[in-house]
Amino acid sequence: MDCQAEVNCGLHLVIQTSSLPEKNKVEFRLNKETSSFPGRLLQHDLERNYSSRQGDHINLVSSSMPSFPILQRSSEEKILYSDRLTLERQKLTVCPVIDGEEHLRLLNFQHNFITRIQNISNLQRLIFLDLYDNQIEEISGLSTLRSLRVLLLGKNRIKKISNLENLKSLDVLDLHGNQITKIENVNHLCALRVLNLARNLLSHVDNLTGLDSLTELNLRHNQITFVRDVDNLPCLQRLFLSFNNISNFESVCCLADSASLSDITFDGNPIAQESWYKHTVLQNMMQLRQLDMKRVTEEERRMASLVAKKEEEKKRESHKQSLLKEKKRLTINNVARKWDLQQHRVTSIATNQDRKDTDSPSQDSCQMDGSTISAFPEETGPLDPVLTNALQGLSVTDTHLVEVEGDTLSLYGSGALESLDRNWSVQTAGMVTTVSFTFIEFDEIVQVLPKLKMKFPNSLHLKFKETNLVMLQQFNALAQLRRIDQLTIDPQGNPVVNFTLWKYYVLFRLSHFSMQKINGTEVTQNDMIMAERLFGILAHVASSELPQYRVISILGDARKKQFRYLQETKGKKPGIVNEENNDSKRLVGENTNRAMLNYTTRDFYNEKLEEIKEKKKFCQMYIEDLVKEATEINKKNEALQKLWPQMFIELVRDAVIEIRSKNSYMKLCLQQITDQK
Amino acid sequence: MLSPERLALPDYDYLAQRHVLTYMEDAVCQLLENKEDISQYGIARFFTEYFNSVCQGTHILFREFSFIQATPHNRASFLRAFWRCFRTVGKNGDLLTMKEYHCLLQLLCPDFPLELTQKAARIVLMDDAMDCLMSFSDFLFAFQIQFYYSEFLESVAAIYQDLLSGKNPNTVIVPTSSSGQHRQRPAVGEASLPEGVEASLFSQCLENLCDRHKYSCPPPALVKEVLSNVQRLTFYGFLMALSKHHGINQALGALPDRGDLMHDPAMDEELERL
Repeated sequence: MDCQAEVNCGLHLVIQTSSLPEKNKVEFRLNKETSSFPGRLLQHDLERNYSSRQGDHINLVSSSMPSFPILQRSSEEKILYSDRLTLERQKLTVCPVIDGEEHLRLLNFQHNFITRIQNISNLQRLIFLDLYDNQIEEISGLSTLRSLRVLLLGKNRIKKISNLENLKSLDVLDLHGNQITKIENVNHLCALRVLNLARNLLSHVDNLTGLDSLTELNLRHNQITFVRDVDNLPCLQRLFLSFNNISNFESVCCLADSASLSDITFDGNPIAQESWYKHTVLQNMMQLRQLDMKRVTEEERRMASLVAKKEEEKKRESHKQSLLKEKKRLTINNVARKWDLQQHRVTSIATNQDRKDTDSPSQDSCQMDGSTISAFPEETGPLDPVLTNALQGLSVTDTHLVEVEGDTLSLYGSGALESLDRNWSVQTAGMVTTVSFTFIEFDEIVQVLPKLKMKFPNSLHLKFKETNLVMLQQFNALAQLRRIDQLTIDPQGNPVVNFTLWKYYVLFRLSHFSMQKINGTEVTQNDMIMAERLFGILAHVASSELPQYRVISILGDARKKQFRYLQETKGKKPGIVNEENNDSKRLVGENTNRAMLNYTTRDFYNEKLEEIKEKKKFCQMYIEDLVKEATEINKKNEALQKLWPQMFIELVRDAVIEIRSKNSYMKLCLQQITDQK
Repeated sequence: MLSPERLALPDYDYLAQRHVLTYMEDAVCQLLENKEDISQYGIARFFTEYFNSVCQGTHILFREFSFIQATPHNRASFLRAFWRCFRTVGKNGDLLTMKEYHCLLQLLCPDFPLELTQKAARIVLMDDAMDCLMSFSDFLFAFQIQFYYSEFLESVAAIYQDLLSGKNPNTVIVPTSSSGQHRQRPAVGEASLPEGVEASLFSQCLENLCDRHKYSCPPPALVKEVLSNVQRLTFYGFLMALSKHHGINQALGALPDRGDLMHDPAMDEELERL
C-alpha cells in the first residue's frame, strides 16, 4: 500500500491503494481547510514500496515483562522522525510498549499479527494510527487517544464497532475488510469525513445520525438490501454501494432526499441489471453528478425524465387495465351466480334469501369507462318476484358482460345478447372469428343466431359453456349459420356432452359445414362416415317419406322465422333482402333432407301448439257437423231403403188405378195438355 | 272389407272404433295450417297425400305427442318409424342411457314426455339403477309395450298393487275405484311376503280387465300364455316377459322379430346410396 501522508493539523491525507486483483481503486481524498497548525509538522512521503521497507533503526528489546517487547529507537531516529513510527511487517503479535515517544503523531503497525490494541494509551498526541492487516478482533485501548484523526483498522477481524467514544476528532475511520454486521456507536463522530465499511457483513444501513461531517461513505461489497438515514447526513457527497444486494429503488429511497449527494455507485447490485435502473435513479436523484463513476450528462437527465414519464403512464394504464380486469371478473362472478340461481329455480325461498344476504356485502361498484369492454345496466326481465328480489341483492349494474379481445367475442349472461344489436365497426366485427357464449340459455342464443350471422360474418368457431344444451335436436338450430369450422361444447353446464352419440349427430346434421374440429379434436374421415351411417336413414326418412305439403310447411316455417328476425334489425337496407334470398337459395342447396330437421325452442313450440288449439277446435266442430250431416243422410238413406218397397208398390198401384178407366184417363191427359198451354 | 260386422255397428261407434274422425279432424287442421302452401297444388291432392301417409305410417313424423298418442295405428307407426330411423344405432352396438334414447325420440317428436321413456327404461332395468346402459333391442321392445299399451299397463300396475297388498279387485267392486287409479303402495315391512304375486290369480284379474275395457290390450290368449309359464312373478318381470314375447310383437305388427331387428335391406340400400 502506497501511503502518502502529509499531516497538518488539518489533515491532507492521500492514501492510494494500488490496484490489487480483488480490490478496486479507492481514493480517499480528504481536504479539510481549517486553521492550520503552526507549520507543517511532517512532510512524510511514504511512497516507497513497503516490501522493501523495514522498520529500520528500530530495536525491539525484550523487557522484564515477558509478553511485551519494548521498543527503543536510536536518538538520531528519534530526532529525525520524532513524530512518526513505522513498525510494519515486524511479525509483531502484540503491540510493543513504546517508551519515551510521547510526541508521536503517526504510528504504523501494518501487516503484523497483532490481536489486541494495547500499550498505546500513553501516546496521547497520536493523530494517525494504522493497524491495517492484523488480527484484531475488537476495537479497544483507544480511549486516551483524544487527538486521533485517522484510524485505519482495515483487514482485521473486528466484529463490532465499539469503544470509539472519546475519539471525537476522528476524521477518517477505515474498517474495511472486517466482520462488522451493524453500524453502531458512531453517532458521536461529528468530525468524521470518511467512513469506509467496505467488505464487511452489513445487511442494511441505518443509524447514521450525528455524522454531520461525513462526506464519503464506502459500503462496497456488503450484503446491503436497504439504506436508511442517509438523508440525515448533511455533507454526504459520495456514497459507494457497489456489489451489494439492492434490488429496487424503494429500498434506497432516502437517497432522493439527500441534497448533498453528488456521486453514487450501484454497480454489482441486482438493481443495476434492471431496464429501468438508470433513468429511475437519475429521475429520483436530480442532484447527481456521477453515477457508477461516470458523469451524468444533460442528455441522460432528459432521457431519464422522459422515460420516467412514460413509465408513469404505463403504470397508470396497467392499473386501469387491472381495474378493468377486476371488474370483469366480478361481473362474470355475478353472472355465474345469477345463472346458478336461475338453474335452481325450485330451491326454497330461504336459500335465495341466504344467498342474497351473503352477496350484498361483497358487492363492488367501481365506475367503468367504456372502451371495447362495456356492461349495460340491468333490465329485469319477466322473472318471478322472489327471484327478482334475490337478483336485486346481487348486483345493480353488472349482470352481463360483452368483451371483444382480438378475434374473440365473449358473451356472458343473457343480457349480453342484446349487444349484438350495437353498431359494431366493420373492422372490429370482421376480425372476430370466435364467439363464446357462457351462462346463457341455448334457446335464447338460437333466437339471435341470424343477427350473429349478419353482424359477425367471419365467425367460424363457436364455444358454448353453461348454456343448457340438453338435447341433440338443439344442434339443428346451428344449421342456419353461414359456416362453422370449429365447435366447442364445454361439458360444464351442457349435459348433452354426456351422450355417446352427440358428436356424430353434430357432424351429421351440420355436414354441410365440413367442420374441422369438435372440442379440440380433429374430425376424421371415419367420424364423418360413422355419422352418416348412424343417422343417414333419419335424413332419408325425413325428406323422402314426408308428404310434400309437410316438407313445404317445415321449410316454410324455418324461412319465415329467419325472415322475421332479419326484419327486426334496425336500419333495414335493401341489400338485406337480397341476402335473404341468397340464403334461402343456399338453404335449398344445403342437404335438403337435413333441412327437415329443425329445432324450435320449447317456448315457441308451445306457443305454436296453443295457436293450433283454436284451429283444432274449429276442425273438430266442422267435422262433427259433417259427420252429423253424413249420419243424417245415412239415416235418411236407410229409412228410404226400408220404405222404398212399400213406396214403390204404392206408386205402381196409384198408376194402375189411374189407368184403369181408359176414357177418364184419356180425358185427364187431354185436360193436362190444354192446361199446360 | 264390406263385412257384415262392420255394417252392423251404429255409425258413431264405427267411426270411433276406426278413429276415422281423428284423422279427418287432423287432416282438416293441417289443411288450415298450411293453406297458403297447399292451395298451390290442390286440396284433392292434399287429402290423397295425407291418407297415403297415414297408410304408410309416415304421418306421425315430427308431429306433436298428442297426435302420436291419439290412435293405436299412430303409435304403431311411430314405433316403426323409430325403429327404421335408428336401427343403425343399434346395429353399431352402442349402449345408450335412458336420457340418450329419450333424445333420439325427441328427434322425431319434439315434445315426447320423459315419463314414458323412464317407464320403458324401468322395464328393461327391472326398476334398478336407472343410469344403466341399455341395448337398442331391449329398449325398443320394452318401449313398444310401454307406449302402445300404456293405459293397459297402468291398470295392470294398479291391479298388481292390489294383489300385493292382499286385496282382490275381483271381489270388491267400487264404482269410484276404477282400475285407472293407483292404490296405496304396501308397507315396506312386508318382507315376509314372497316376492310378486301368484300368476294364476293375476291372470284372472287381467282377463277381466281385458274384457272390461275398450282400449287396446294385448291378445288375452297370449297374456295367459305368458302367465301360465310361471308360479309367481313381479310387475316388471311380467312386463319384461311381455316385451320379449314374439307373439305379442307380431300381433302388434309394428316391429320385426327380435332376430330380424337389425335387418332392413331396403334401408340399407338407401344408406349405401348416400
